Amino acid sequence: MSQKSAGKKQKQRRIIDTDVHERATYADLVPYLDHPWKRYITDNHWMQEKHMPYTQPTVAGVDRADAVTPDGGAAGTDLSFMQQQLLDAEGHEYGILTGALDPSPSSMHGWYEMATALASAYNDWQIENWLEKDDRLYGSVHIAAQDPQQAVREIERVGSHPKMVQILLPIDKTPWGDPFYHPIYEAAERYHLSIGMHHNEPPTHFGEWPRYFIEWHTMLPTAHMIEVSNMVFNGVFDKFPGLHLIMIEGGFTHAPHLMKKMDQQYKELRHEIPWVKRMPSDIMREHVRFTTQPVEEMNQKEFMQYIDQMGSEDMVCFATDYPHWDYDSPLEALPKLDEALAEKVYSENARASYPKLPQKQGSVT
Amino acid sequence: MMKEVVLKKEDIEPGKMKSASLGKIPIVVCRTKDGEFYAYANRCLHQGAPLSEGALVGDTKRTDVHGNYEYIKEGEILRCPWHGLEYDIKNDGCMLAEPDKKLRSFKVTIEDDYVVVHK
Repeated sequence: MSQKSAGKKQKQRRIIDTDVHERATYADLVPYLDHPWKRYITDNHWMQEKHMPYTQPTVAGVDRADAVTPDGGAAGTDLSFMQQQLLDAEGHEYGILTGALDPSPSSMHGWYEMATALASAYNDWQIENWLEKDDRLYGSVHIAAQDPQQAVREIERVGSHPKMVQILLPIDKTPWGDPFYHPIYEAAERYHLSIGMHHNEPPTHFGEWPRYFIEWHTMLPTAHMIEVSNMVFNGVFDKFPGLHLIMIEGGFTHAPHLMKKMDQQYKELRHEIPWVKRMPSDIMREHVRFTTQPVEEMNQKEFMQYIDQMGSEDMVCFATDYPHWDYDSPLEALPKLDEALAEKVYSENARASYPKLPQKQGSVT
Repeated sequence: MMKEVVLKKEDIEPGKMKSASLGKIPIVVCRTKDGEFYAYANRCLHQGAPLSEGALVGDTKRTDVHGNYEYIKEGEILRCPWHGLEYDIKNDGCMLAEPDKKLRSFKVTIEDDYVVVHK
């Protein structure tokens, strides 16, 4: 049974999906690596470091159970199946690829040379196998941000590709607003790339893991909040006025509180950060976007209360998180919205946040 | 009242489920480990995911003892393939987290080794 036949709350509409996870196996990346990096995978069995004490306690781990590929492969590894199950089925205009955080070069706690090589291999694999094979898919530049100079070289190498629209930074333990990382944002501006932040394995509970997965997953937005406040208070957006930041998979319902809290703190403590020259909420309304998924169930009135408190209809961008277990259906996840706002949430806010995405054309049929 | 043969009894092993159609209604037919059949609308109440793509699993018994895990009702809980919402198929399709919500259920009879679903 297709989801279209399952019943609709929303009409079919133009969708720019800001979180689509393609997945590379390590075997996929080997042809894009040189020695010695290739050998560290083939002979020494390098694997991405993992930290969580639990599995994702769902039907099929991190994935939707029905997203296993027809040949039994891991979800997100097969472009044609993604086209069938997501892009064609839901009528996507564009999808922004965000990888699978495995490998996640910027998450590695050492061996930044290997991380740099993995990022380059991933980018080449992504371009050849996804971005250049479907007009609807746009990509993320993977970098090893622990070494900003090498990261900038990678941005310079692939950042001008017409289908690369953002630089991906994982949310783990690094607050990315530190001036040490500002060369990355200078390069982002230079190449008209946005910054996308997506959580990987942030130790949300005082730097540690909570006892249960449900606690960690509930508190993920706090890791997003830390990154946003860190970027704003370190003056990233004052220094790079053309920069867009998209906070991916943290939802948006925490944003009104964060904006209010940061404004109050700014009134009282702004002298500590004289490089920040405007109210934080104003900076956020201009530069920061939040993706909807995983959205809490809510009605239109509740949705509008959040929008009203944010003081902007421009900050929320729709995302499915395909093919993961907490996927949000474009037809079912959000309440019915007024048409003008719906168009912003489902497509135009994202279009305005990614300068390299094509401009709006025609109308949805 | 209408009824329709949707499957052969042997099409579903105990502990398994299958999608089927009752007229134009997509349904999921579940067979518990004791051999009984149950039929529900094949659509999660949350975001409409096809439940037949999920899993028949068990539940952890509610307890007052922190840290105590007792696995019960194995094969009787229909778990959504997306967000994992759980429905008790031997208890009228009630959602475990919110028992006042339930799947649309259909009466099932077995006639000459065929699974017959009634609407």
